[in-house]
Amino acid sequence: MTFRRLVLGLAALAIPLGAAAADRWQLPIAVKKLDNGLTVVVSEDASSPTVGVSVVYHVGMRLEPKGRTGFAHLFEHLMFQGTPNAPKGTFDRVIEGGGGMNNGSTRADYTNYIETAPVSALEPILWLEADRMKTLDFSAENLKNQQDVVKEEIRVNVQNKPYGLFFWTDVNRLAFSKWENAHDGYGSFADLEGARLEDVRAFHRDFYGPNNAVIGIVGDIKAEQAFALVEKYFGAIPARPVPPRPDVDEPLNTREKRESQTDALAQVPALAVGWKMPERGSPDQAPMDVLAQLLVGDSASRLYQGLVKGREQLLNIEGGLNWPLGDAWDYAGPAPLVLFGLYKPGVKVDAVLEAIDEEIARIVKDGVDAATLKRVKTKMLADYNDSLEAFISRADTLAKAQLLWGDAKTVNQIPAWIDAVQGADLQRVAARYLTAANRVVIDRTPAPAAAAAGDKP
Amino acid sequence: MRTTVKTLALPLGLAGALTAGAAGAAQTTLPKDLPPYGQDKPLPVPTITQKTLDNGLTVWVLPRTDGPPKVDVVLAVRGGKASDPADLPAMSDLLASLLTEGTRTRSAIQIAEQLQAIGASIDATAGNDGITVSGSGLASGAERLVGLLADVGINASFPEAEVKLAKANALQALKAAEAQPSYQASRAIARAIYGDHPYGRTLATEASIGKTERAALAAAHTARFRPDRALLVVSGRIDAATALTYANGAFGAWKAQGEAPAEIAAAPREAKPQHVLVERSGSVQSAVRLGRPVFAANDADEIPAALANTILGGGGLDTRLNRNLREDKGYTYGAYSSFSVARRGGAFTSGADVRNEVTGAAVGEFVKELQKLIDTPVDAAELERAKRAAAGGYLFRNQLQSAVARSLAANWLVGRPPEYLGQFVPRTREVTAEQVQTMARRYFDPKTLSIVVVGDKAVAEQLGAYGSFGATPAGD
Repeated sequence: MTFRRLVLGLAALAIPLGAAAADRWQLPIAVKKLDNGLTVVVSEDASSPTVGVSVVYHVGMRLEPKGRTGFAHLFEHLMFQGTPNAPKGTFDRVIEGGGGMNNGSTRADYTNYIETAPVSALEPILWLEADRMKTLDFSAENLKNQQDVVKEEIRVNVQNKPYGLFFWTDVNRLAFSKWENAHDGYGSFADLEGARLEDVRAFHRDFYGPNNAVIGIVGDIKAEQAFALVEKYFGAIPARPVPPRPDVDEPLNTREKRESQTDALAQVPALAVGWKMPERGSPDQAPMDVLAQLLVGDSASRLYQGLVKGREQLLNIEGGLNWPLGDAWDYAGPAPLVLFGLYKPGVKVDAVLEAIDEEIARIVKDGVDAATLKRVKTKMLADYNDSLEAFISRADTLAKAQLLWGDAKTVNQIPAWIDAVQGADLQRVAARYLTAANRVVIDRTPAPAAAAAGDKP
Repeated sequence: MRTTVKTLALPLGLAGALTAGAAGAAQTTLPKDLPPYGQDKPLPVPTITQKTLDNGLTVWVLPRTDGPPKVDVVLAVRGGKASDPADLPAMSDLLASLLTEGTRTRSAIQIAEQLQAIGASIDATAGNDGITVSGSGLASGAERLVGLLADVGINASFPEAEVKLAKANALQALKAAEAQPSYQASRAIARAIYGDHPYGRTLATEASIGKTERAALAAAHTARFRPDRALLVVSGRIDAATALTYANGAFGAWKAQGEAPAEIAAAPREAKPQHVLVERSGSVQSAVRLGRPVFAANDADEIPAALANTILGGGGLDTRLNRNLREDKGYTYGAYSSFSVARRGGAFTSGADVRNEVTGAAVGEFVKELQKLIDTPVDAAELERAKRAAAGGYLFRNQLQSAVARSLAANWLVGRPPEYLGQFVPRTREVTAEQVQTMARRYFDPKTLSIVVVGDKAVAEQLGAYGSFGATPAGD
């Protein structure tokens, strides 16, 4: 994928700050790269005696081995299962017992490991993160245990749940053509059960070296101190060769794809629509982000007002660019704009699609009035600030920006890129991307037998 | 994607001088070169400016000079789901959702667009004891946000067309929710815990939605939204004097009308344990829930019980339940426990979603872990970890001004003073291992817990050892 951040940067420079400039929140950002290739991003904030930490690895569901769907996520679980130095249980014990919280998540383009804690626990946290970057306890028992846990996770989120995340996995399968982008990142049980210790070893060796990672640290610590601590605990970990990254790019679709599904657990029909989006760094990315907010961002949005209110077709509507697993700024490979809603009895899916098309056509034809555009951008700035409030989220956002954009300072530039978007930009991207040809549609209706499932009071 | 299991709702505690090594020594040998925890910094305590307006409205302000340029405003009023008419359970949900759907001078779309214009949003939710209207927006729009919040709180007009649409959507949303095992499990365990008490009927039914009329909503709004039974919290990039000026300007003329809702009766602290299998054919997991009634907020047991819960299943993954059911047995993605206390009663609940074939075995492990806390005192290291976890949870919440504002409002609704926030950690520090064991004896005794399983009826045969699960409940 081409790197086009500069294009956006120049556009932003040319535009004076909008009325919301006083509400712009600029973060202090310091970046350092260690000799072994580990990049460290620090943002100081002494408003709370705590820190947020995020270690982000440049590997996700797209790069898991073929025949091993769900492996990147299973591997993420295994990162919490101990090392030769710190047996299983140590990680959670030290962090939670130090007053902290930790988590991990697997996405298409990255896998992140995040912690927040009183600043007194920072050194043990860094030690633990460095320790599992070196090696893991590759034990058959741990692998079996987490295969079971991941299968329970999939049962609770997919197999035993109405709708079962079809607006993520099935939209991707339908929208994308390359295996890397189209396969189910949660994984099939057969593939998960097929995972072997040698797969785990190889994945750690290939993708979990310091040169394939960024660490973000935010909170009550000076940048120089943070750099020194990361050097102390991670500095001696040697860089490891990373396999060449496959070309995962794919063009927009040229023919609409539709699918009808039945859901044995659902009682109310649902609809998901997806369109393929501009690549990361494209001049169309910021306009698309604004357009997504205009369409589906909040209760003033066109689709909420037009379809939930107005036409009264839908119970609710959710969605966005790179939804539900990310946002407009944290993808690298192909990503969709997704809409998901439950529709009412008697409503035809074609009528809903027609209504969505009408709202889009109105934007393409008339553009957007200045007052509306300003309102939408103001709300986006507020939401953006909110997303950075918790130290753990701020550390993660900075680390991801460094990893995916090559520059953590992107985080301070995005508000200006959004502010620079004009009505004509929205017309252009609506006409280019939100077409029927570039669209996938999934209609999911309750299976006739579903009436029997569940206790009716 | 461990996200769902990692609750951020850690209770609160404070940091002692223990090292990581010492803290874990009793149960796990920690790596010899793991660095110790550093010196803990003093615990910040929020400074709250308190004022009562002439009309009786209580106002608390927490100014901040750091953090994002935003302001949070929360209005809480007494009278929530427990005050709904017995034949209209969860009417408060409709009432809360309709507040932003029209006022005497603004339509729903005007409210939505005016909020968007200042980078703000307002959400209203109904709880057992009250309704909370929370606004958040850019600091530059603070005055307009306070004004909009006052308008929806005071002048909500419940337009007929909006009521009709909200009811139609609520009926479909109920249908969708009832397909979720977690929803069915929550409903069944609440019934078992609270019986006929109003805290036991806080979920809507088709009948209650159908019968809710505009007049009833408007009347309940008038009765509950009154300045003498309301709290306004303002936090963020605003100084106290300015916040009070805005509050006075927007809420100063507000007057109470008619009768306030009656105080509800205290909920029972004991209930006869029930064993319920809610049949869900084709279910590939069983949603297991255990629970019983406990104390109301402000009870002397509240803080030691919260700490006992942190050890059992209230924290992250290093809890008794997750170490056993997830990390050892692989039965579940996550097991949890919690105390949820309200103004007039409270509940202890615990649960996990497990695959069908281990349903009985999972219930057995819950029983074992509960009994272990009754039979054996927790060691000093585990107690200390729980206290540090509690302190960390407090510190984390204090990073987020909306979380602090909402905590203060939630505390006020259940009758806690503003100082409670800052006292929680020091009070938690004082809890002893003996008290934890006493709490376990009082509230974790498996013989006193109702058990609900939502799952395929074939799992019934695994449950015989824990009670008679033969009958499926008839529902409402």
